Amino acid sequence: MKTLKSFTIFLLAVTSFVSCGPDAIEEVEFSDLFQNVADNIIVPRYSNFDNALSDLNLELNNFNNSELSSLESLQQKFIDTYLSWQTVSAFEFGPAGEISVLLRSNINNFPTDESRIESNIQNNDYNLDVASNYSAKGLPALDYILFHASQDELLMELADESRVNYMKDCVSNMKSRVDYVVNAWDAYRNVFVGSEGNDQNSSLSLFFNYFLYDYEQIKRNKFALPAGFATEYGIPISMDTSKVEGLYSATSLELISANLRALEDLYLGVGENGVDGIGIYEMLKEYNAVSTVVEGDLSEAIANQFVICKELVNEFSNDLPYEIINNISQVQETSNELQKMVPMIKNDMRSYFSVTVTLGDSDGD
Amino acid sequence: MVINSNFNISKISQWSYAETSIAPLVVFRIIFGLMMFVGILRFWLKGWIHDFFIQPDHFFHYFGFEWVKPMGEFGMYTIFGLLLISSLSIALGLFYRASSILFFVLFTYVELIDVTNYLNHYYFISLVSFLMCFLPANRSFSLDIWNNHEKILKSIPNWTIGILKFQLGLVYFFSGIAKLNYDWLFDAMPMSIWLQAKMHWPILGSLFTEKWMAYSCSWAACIFDLTVAFFLLSKRYRPIAYFVLVIFHVITGLMFPIGMFPWIMILATLIFFSPDFHEKIIAFIRLIFNLKQATSSGHNSLALAGFKKKFLTGFLLTYVFFQMLFPFRYLLYPGDLFWTEQGYRFSWRVMLIEKAGTAFFYVTDPETGNRGEVNNCDFLTPNQEKMMATQPDLILQYAHIIKEEVESRDLKNPIINAEVYVTLNGSRSKLFIDPEVDLTTLQDNFKPKDWILDN
Repeated sequence: MKTLKSFTIFLLAVTSFVSCGPDAIEEVEFSDLFQNVADNIIVPRYSNFDNALSDLNLELNNFNNSELSSLESLQQKFIDTYLSWQTVSAFEFGPAGEISVLLRSNINNFPTDESRIESNIQNNDYNLDVASNYSAKGLPALDYILFHASQDELLMELADESRVNYMKDCVSNMKSRVDYVVNAWDAYRNVFVGSEGNDQNSSLSLFFNYFLYDYEQIKRNKFALPAGFATEYGIPISMDTSKVEGLYSATSLELISANLRALEDLYLGVGENGVDGIGIYEMLKEYNAVSTVVEGDLSEAIANQFVICKELVNEFSNDLPYEIINNISQVQETSNELQKMVPMIKNDMRSYFSVTVTLGDSDGD
Repeated sequence: MVINSNFNISKISQWSYAETSIAPLVVFRIIFGLMMFVGILRFWLKGWIHDFFIQPDHFFHYFGFEWVKPMGEFGMYTIFGLLLISSLSIALGLFYRASSILFFVLFTYVELIDVTNYLNHYYFISLVSFLMCFLPANRSFSLDIWNNHEKILKSIPNWTIGILKFQLGLVYFFSGIAKLNYDWLFDAMPMSIWLQAKMHWPILGSLFTEKWMAYSCSWAACIFDLTVAFFLLSKRYRPIAYFVLVIFHVITGLMFPIGMFPWIMILATLIFFSPDFHEKIIAFIRLIFNLKQATSSGHNSLALAGFKKKFLTGFLLTYVFFQMLFPFRYLLYPGDLFWTEQGYRFSWRVMLIEKAGTAFFYVTDPETGNRGEVNNCDFLTPNQEKMMATQPDLILQYAHIIKEEVESRDLKNPIINAEVYVTLNGSRSKLFIDPEVDLTTLQDNFKPKDWILDN
């Protein structure tokens, strides 16, 4: 007993007091990740999106309904803006998550409500900030107004100034929110980078949870839901191709691809300037994380899975509604690969980063 | 001493009814009441009453306690208000019997609402507050005897303090026994994962990535848990054992999100110290608050005889044996305990495994054959989802929750399957349960769950 006791004390003493000199190896810390993500990814991406909205607004102001080229240029600017949105949708925390901002619900609520848009335009009396108009505004509303008919028909429709004004209102509704977020990040940047620990409101928790959330949005809302692989409140729903993102402009797969690329760059730490900085990938390397889903390194496993998913999405030659109807097996295969990533993030990455899901205390079960 | 080299029931019985100073029990009452007050207040201020009992749409029930339901916003805040009042009353020794019963009943009720909130620490509090209902902890230095001096007790039977020491020692000893497994001792898992996560700690951080460090910590924790209670019982080793205990709890408190537990244990284990020590504490409190020593008639005794004594002896023995046997019920189940978790709870398996799961549930409409993946956040909070994904009985309960939900939306007799991937102590994620089995056809019971796949 006595030996056991001395042994215990010795070990505990070792645990508590022994120290080494300064470490020669340069350590990568979460603050390095947050710094790179904030300065080279989040802030420039928001400002790009903000600029895209400005360009779109300019295009709307200069719109000439008698010129096809003017419509085409407007349509193109819209698609550029929609693609740009895909790069910021994972950052719905901090300023973007504030209750009066909520970018995702206000900017990309799809499928959009056609009849509500039409009645809003017709009555010319609407408040875009009320929740009931979430599904009648934002990018999906513009997608509808700008693409729901042939170009000739659209040009005729758009002679009606109230349609153009509705789009302008939608854009300014988005722009005011994004302007706010861009400005608020000036101050929030230091909060985000300086945050320590892993509790509910730590940057680690927020960053991780919204990374996962954005990914699951691709898998479920953008893919499984229209393909008929999902449920709504437990009820299996049949395939419904009208639920895809970018329905009218037929850009659903392009948008998914852009969303995946944005998450991949975030994962790898690739900034908007093209410089490959500290990303989640580097952090996982630092932690020597091993994948429990496939053989080997977790950092490589997730990077590979991004490549696989992107390739599968890019392989489709048509738009998602067409592929769902004519090529369901490839859609299923893509869905399976998108799903494979989930435990890599949800189980493995979360474990290694000790991200707290638990609100309360834990005793480790 | 409870543990005697020649184990002899009659000797223990003799010891149990021999008298000792009431001081340690009184100090324990004050500490327990105050710690509970702080703990409940902390729970309230963190907004957890809302997060755990008001926000969720569904709750996971303990087997046999399906009838326990949360009471809504007003009800839950009232209950926590009563918990605050009763814990403070326990500390003050005011209406002690009623307060301790109220605290035990309400605290246990709150814990029974949702299995996903289960913590060994909460079970521990329930047990201690249960024991406190029977103990004469208010019979000295309390408001109950303020104007009732003839009730004052100077000495009480040994069992009253012994049972609390037993309960405390049991927590350490069994969490030590739980660590006697291959992963913990010979693979330093999950200690390696936990230390790795703290690699950026100042000074110690650089050691945390070393394998020998993980082994040292694993073994040290195991040996500490197995032996500390015995050293605390020994007068000679008590001070050094307590010193080690404080260091142990401070370190674990800094490393893990285990809330109040370390501080509760540090203070609660003071009960192992001598009556002298506790009388000094009481004298010190008297000095600070300028309280007079009440004089008692001095001849009170709790000595029992005849049937009452036999009954008490029977009750104590039953409690002790139940506590010692219940953690071993897992032996009745086949398979790896950490994987199947059959007989896992209520057994002091504290900070023992690292388990994570991802659960994909699928509902099939039997009429149309339509099949879709359930969006778990439609029904569960993130915390509930996380807890559910690694525990088979909760997976089954969740399937029944989904069934109820879809049937209320007019889809009758849904087929529900689950594809669950679980990783245990960093091992490869594996399918956890049979993905082909229709979970709606199963009911939870104490029989082995043959639909859990092998680890």
